[in-house]
Amino acid sequence: MEKIISIENLNYTYPESKKPAIKDLSLDIYKNEWLSIVGKNGSGKSTLTKLIDGLIEASSGTITIAGQVINEENIWDARKRIGIIFQNPDHQFVGATVEDDVAFGLENQGMPREDMIKEVDRALALVKMSDFKTRDPQSLSGGQKQRVAIAGVLATKPQIIIMDESTSMLDPDGRKTVLDLVQQLRKQQDLTIISITHDIEETELSQRIVVLNDGQIVKDGKPVDIYDLGSNLRKYGLEEPFSSKLMSIIRVTEKLPEGYLSEEELKQQLWKLHSNM
Amino acid sequence: MEITFEHVTHSYEANSPTASLGLDDVSLTIKDKLFTAIVGQTGSGKSTLVRHINALLKPTSGKVIVGKRVITSETNNKNLKPLRKQVGMVFQFPESQLFEDTVEKDIMFGPMNFGATEEEARKAAHTMIKLVGLDESLLSKSPFDLSGGQMRRVAIAGVLASDPETVILDEPTAGLDPVGRLEIMNLFKDLQEKGKTIILITHNMDDVADYADEMAVIHSGKLIAQGPPKEVFNNQELLQDDVLTLPHSASFAKELQQKGFHFDKLPITINELGTEIKQQLNGD
Ligand SMILES: Nc1ncnc2c1ncn2[C@@H]1O[C@H](COP(=O)(O)OP(=O)(O)OP(=O)(O)O)[C@@H](O)[C@H]1O
Ligand SMILES: Nc1ncnc2c1ncn2[C@@H]1O[C@H](COP(=O)(O)OP(=O)(O)OP(=O)(O)O)[C@@H](O)[C@H]1O
Ligand SMILES: [Mg+2]
Ligand SMILES: [Mg+2]
Repeated sequence: MEKIISIENLNYTYPESKKPAIKDLSLDIYKNEWLSIVGKNGSGKSTLTKLIDGLIEASSGTITIAGQVINEENIWDARKRIGIIFQNPDHQFVGATVEDDVAFGLENQGMPREDMIKEVDRALALVKMSDFKTRDPQSLSGGQKQRVAIAGVLATKPQIIIMDESTSMLDPDGRKTVLDLVQQLRKQQDLTIISITHDIEETELSQRIVVLNDGQIVKDGKPVDIYDLGSNLRKYGLEEPFSSKLMSIIRVTEKLPEGYLSEEELKQQLWKLHSNM
Repeated sequence: MEITFEHVTHSYEANSPTASLGLDDVSLTIKDKLFTAIVGQTGSGKSTLVRHINALLKPTSGKVIVGKRVITSETNNKNLKPLRKQVGMVFQFPESQLFEDTVEKDIMFGPMNFGATEEEARKAAHTMIKLVGLDESLLSKSPFDLSGGQMRRVAIAGVLASDPETVILDEPTAGLDPVGRLEIMNLFKDLQEKGKTIILITHNMDDVADYADEMAVIHSGKLIAQGPPKEVFNNQELLQDDVLTLPHSASFAKELQQKGFHFDKLPITINELGTEIKQQLNGD
């Protein structure tokens, strides 16, 4: 597996703060991987993404992106590879209309105008926002803003997409649409996804989950291994998956296997128990 | 305080060619001292609806009755303070309601604006910050130097500090970690049990099932269903039309029905679901 991002011994303390937000953090992220970053409010997730995108500069440590150690000279190059969808979409909007806004990133890439128009239309169609092209992004509903922010990033076809809770205000169907879309693009375009989320179901789509606590990585593993922590997940502000919660209720009277089962596996178990009655 | 919408229509940019209906002839009663959830797809009109309750928006036609107060297109912006004291609102994007240079001042603003002394307001700030699960040491920080979830909690603390009798929450748990979400939802339920009216906009159907007494479903600016969650989530028509998503437990139950299991009504909470599965496996 090829590393796309490599972080070594990273430290960061906000200027106004005494406590470090990121502490001696090391992490490798691989090409085409979907990595979930989870953890309590204030654990350092957004700070880490701002460091990766060069929006703030580490106190010490290094970040290597696509083989290049990031410094002040080459950060602009690196940033071209990264599309970041911020936690609050209002921080993202620069255009007076939705289409201008989505076009902004493409303009920066120097794309010819005709191609740009096509690309903007394509990206807006992907997130089902074509009808809102001429609206002021500030006048959109919360979920509509998130969709436009996502379109803006997809349009620039980055190699790495960082989603900082970017589906938190979408309705359940909309969330599924966006996640399926991102998954499809990852497979087709060799994209790497870093997704910060509090939604345990969203993490099921990823290959790996990293748990942050107090600026440090406390767990790093496959989703099933993380879910297997069961009620220990609460220590890190996380909840148990639905199937685990249901199993602990049923286990009072029925025999079920130990450890984590996916919902599908649990369903099969319950059907088996039912047919053996 | 009972809140009633009578044929409320809200047109954004009413006099322009791009006018669009945010609300379309909505008639709805939100009962006093209950926990009411408002759900609906992205852009369906939920935020538009609740912004009428404290007159941030006014009906283009129709009227909104909040306790003794009537809000129509004619209502002017004077004299809204008593209404805003009674109806507190946590906005969808918390940053939009933070503005002071410290968290403490921010939480103190509401109570002082409504007549509390500085000392009372400071006391409220210290109580509230802990209630929303934050450390008191954050009081001296700038609210803009907080993480997303921390800001959200400060916004909630700020609204609760004025002790409004009706609390409107526009997706208040978006951005909270799951443990925090549970704590904050329990806090709202607690406030309701102590006599407040709670109105919650959410996309989390499990929270609706677990906490709400009543729910209203908004679709394309129209009210399309209202009732106790157990009934609304068992409304076949709504589900067929794909306008409503089921709580996790209900959709799991629905799948279990493919082989062997049977539910007269879909369970909507995990406890209901677990209990029913156990009963059915015990053959009674
Ligand atoms: N601009 C800032 N100045 C000072 N401190 C900050 C600033 N932004 C964040 N912090 C602090 O740094 C820590 C990490 O914040 P960060 O935003 O990275 O958390 P997070 O994991 O993204 O949390 P959330 O889930 O709430 O979004 C927190 O304690 C926060 O209060
Ligand atoms: N200022 C405005 N000008 C024009 N249209 C607006 C304005 N504000 C909202 N709208 C439109 O009105 C409709 C309802 O918006 P509203 O914010 O009430 O939706 P919502 O149900 O809260 O959605 P979400 O779940 O995404 O927050 C949307 O289509 C939105 O784009
Ligand atoms: Mg964050
Ligand atoms: Mg809204």
